[in-house]
Amino acid sequence: MGLKNLFLGGKKEQEVIDKMKKHMGLLCSACTTLKAAIKNRDEDLLSNVSDLEREGDIVRREIVSSIYEGAFLPFLRPNICRFVEIVDNALDVTKDAAIEYTDLWLDEETKDDCARIADISAKMCEMLLVAFGTLSGPDDLREKSLAIRIYEKKIDEIKFDLIKRLRTKVTKNFWEGKILSDFIHDLTSTSDLIEDASDYLQIINISLR
Amino acid sequence: MQPIPLIASLLIALSVGSNDTSNALGICIGCRIISFRRAVILFGIFVLVGILLQGRKVMKTVGKDIVEMDLRILGISLLVSAILIIISNWKRLPVSTHQVIIGSLTGSGTALGADVNYGSLFEILLSWVISPLAALFASLIIYRAMEKTLSKLPFLQIERIIRVLLLASGIIIAYTTGANELATILGPIIHAGLIEEAWAFFAGSFLVFLGAVVLSNRVIDTIGKGIMALDPYSGFAAQFGAGCCVFLFTSLGMPISTTYCIIGGITGIGMLKGTGTVSVNLLKKIALSWILAPTLAFLACFTIIRTLI
Repeated sequence: MGLKNLFLGGKKEQEVIDKMKKHMGLLCSACTTLKAAIKNRDEDLLSNVSDLEREGDIVRREIVSSIYEGAFLPFLRPNICRFVEIVDNALDVTKDAAIEYTDLWLDEETKDDCARIADISAKMCEMLLVAFGTLSGPDDLREKSLAIRIYEKKIDEIKFDLIKRLRTKVTKNFWEGKILSDFIHDLTSTSDLIEDASDYLQIINISLR
Repeated sequence: MQPIPLIASLLIALSVGSNDTSNALGICIGCRIISFRRAVILFGIFVLVGILLQGRKVMKTVGKDIVEMDLRILGISLLVSAILIIISNWKRLPVSTHQVIIGSLTGSGTALGADVNYGSLFEILLSWVISPLAALFASLIIYRAMEKTLSKLPFLQIERIIRVLLLASGIIIAYTTGANELATILGPIIHAGLIEEAWAFFAGSFLVFLGAVVLSNRVIDTIGKGIMALDPYSGFAAQFGAGCCVFLFTSLGMPISTTYCIIGGITGIGMLKGTGTVSVNLLKKIALSWILAPTLAFLACFTIIRTLI
């Protein structure tokens, strides 16, 4: 390792940071695409969500192997890997929601609520990216984490109203009900996972202080 | 008789290389801040720099001030020291090279009725008690200072700075290994006139380097994995505190143990984080070894000389 690398930060660390940003960017794109797909009932966009998830898997593998090759101090590596896994899980549930939506026909009101949830998830994701940026800058991470928690609360409120309304809806058969329930669960899990990722970011941030 | 102390000293130097590289750069290698190859080269260079720049004071204390040297004292003391140090390294028992060498020299000198300077001996014993405590307080101060300054920086900047600091503290320990540890080993043979000073410096440093290259892998692996439990902040504060403490005592010409200073530093950080984090049982074992190592060395040399000579 040259002196320049030692003082200005290693190439490996920078690579990992860039890839983590890319990974979170893919999650943002997946949420935005899902929102558009729900609104317009667009099958192509739904399959794009799956493509983004696959791309996310590749990026996750690259991040983990870079960390395994020695990026960051060993003390930090488990928390960084856990953060990346949580973001990847968020991508997985977004893809699951997209697949489930292909088998569903929702009424306009429900569709609007689901699109709003996907939209807020996309905003949470953007906020997570901003929060991640505070690790290398002077900004306060706590404000960003608070914003993420407020977004998550909004999604919870929409979710509870939605579930209340859907309970009165008559379904044709067991599978229709099951797929609808799974879709709502997966759609709202994305925001839960983004909130978890934000909490992990806080843990990473304080772990060296 | 003449080759015995020379060979024994060089064997101890080899053993110091195999064990003490981990004291200096084990954390850096474990954290992959620096590769093993570069670490041992750096270690070897700073050991040589240490003994060249600051080794003479400690060499005088051990080689001239404690006991009136003759070939018999030198031969038996260094042979017994080499055997004890090699056995304890092999059995993975923590002993201080300084304590064994000084215990042996005093034991041999007393048995042969040589003039033992109890004033110097008392000063050394006192420095063995004070140095871990000084390292403890130094580490506490460093840790607190880091909390007040470094903690305010962004996370990624802290990570980069800690890498540099860990390497710097490793280099200080490598330097004091040369200026203090190697000086303790070479002091008696240089002051007895068995080897030229310049030759001893280069041969001793080379053997420490050789020990690091050939035999230090196993210990570094243990330290590198074990350090995971210790966060980088604490690791640096303990190591740097110990390094500063050994540096200070080296300037005073006192032969003290880097390992005990690092233990003092770690204990200090543990106390700061809550006494529950300090393993009292382990500290008791270390304290026992602290008393047993010089006592055993003293008794072994005393008994051998009284029995054989």
